[in-house]
Amino acid sequence: MSADTASPFMLLFRGTDWDRGLSPEEIEQTLRRWTAWFDRLTADGKAKLGQPLTNDGKIVTGKKGLVVVDGPFTESKEAVAGYIFLRVADLDEATEIARECPGLDYGMSVEIRPISEEIGRGPD
Amino acid sequence: MSTPVTSSEYMLLFKGTHWDHDLSPEEVQDVMTRWTSWLDRLTREGKVKSAQPLANQGKIIAWKKGVPVDGPFAESKEAIGGYFLLQVSEEEAVEIAKECPALKYGLVVEVRPVVDRCASIDRLDLAAAAN
Repeated sequence: MSADTASPFMLLFRGTDWDRGLSPEEIEQTLRRWTAWFDRLTADGKAKLGQPLTNDGKIVTGKKGLVVVDGPFTESKEAVAGYIFLRVADLDEATEIARECPGLDYGMSVEIRPISEEIGRGPD
Repeated sequence: MSTPVTSSEYMLLFKGTHWDHDLSPEEVQDVMTRWTSWLDRLTREGKVKSAQPLANQGKIIAWKKGVPVDGPFAESKEAIGGYFLLQVSEEEAVEIAKECPALKYGLVVEVRPVVDRCASIDRLDLAAAAN
């Protein structure tokens, strides 16, 4: 299918504690599956960019004045561990791809969000 | 605890899709106008690799009782409304995050280093080195 009819989606991988309790071999095997999955999506022209986010960083809030705290260090089920940008036909296709995420076996969840393309500048 | 990562790329994640619920249309428009100028300025300064809003729709696949299950995406305090991917230092990323026009209405900005190797690989390496 042509690139013109593809729509952009963002996969957000939530759960930075997925590897807790796993052996090094299990972790390594899962990471290899992940790399193979991402490489295949890239070769198929469906993944545009994808990167992990570290657990370091900062959180900025402003409801009661500007506050900056370190975080989100704590591994949690909600914390975003990484993302992939997809260009695929529709939400169903994006969902099919998300179902292949190797982290799902270990409690990670995957969020599939359409990107509002009219506003903003996407990854090239 | 491993030493903090330094990166030259930071992602700002805009969290909380309820911040505009109690605002008047004029207030929301004002925030959007200021948001656009903010992003335009950062783009002119060459700091933005990409920046987009995420639609409040989509799906979540989560593990429930041993099976991955599809569910609808739901707005919440943890829900991410959009992101900026910036090519700046951490300090600068935080300063930029502080300028977000929706902060005073309760939106939260998470500033996260973007890397090429995931944290789990680093933990693996650390464990291997310890043996």
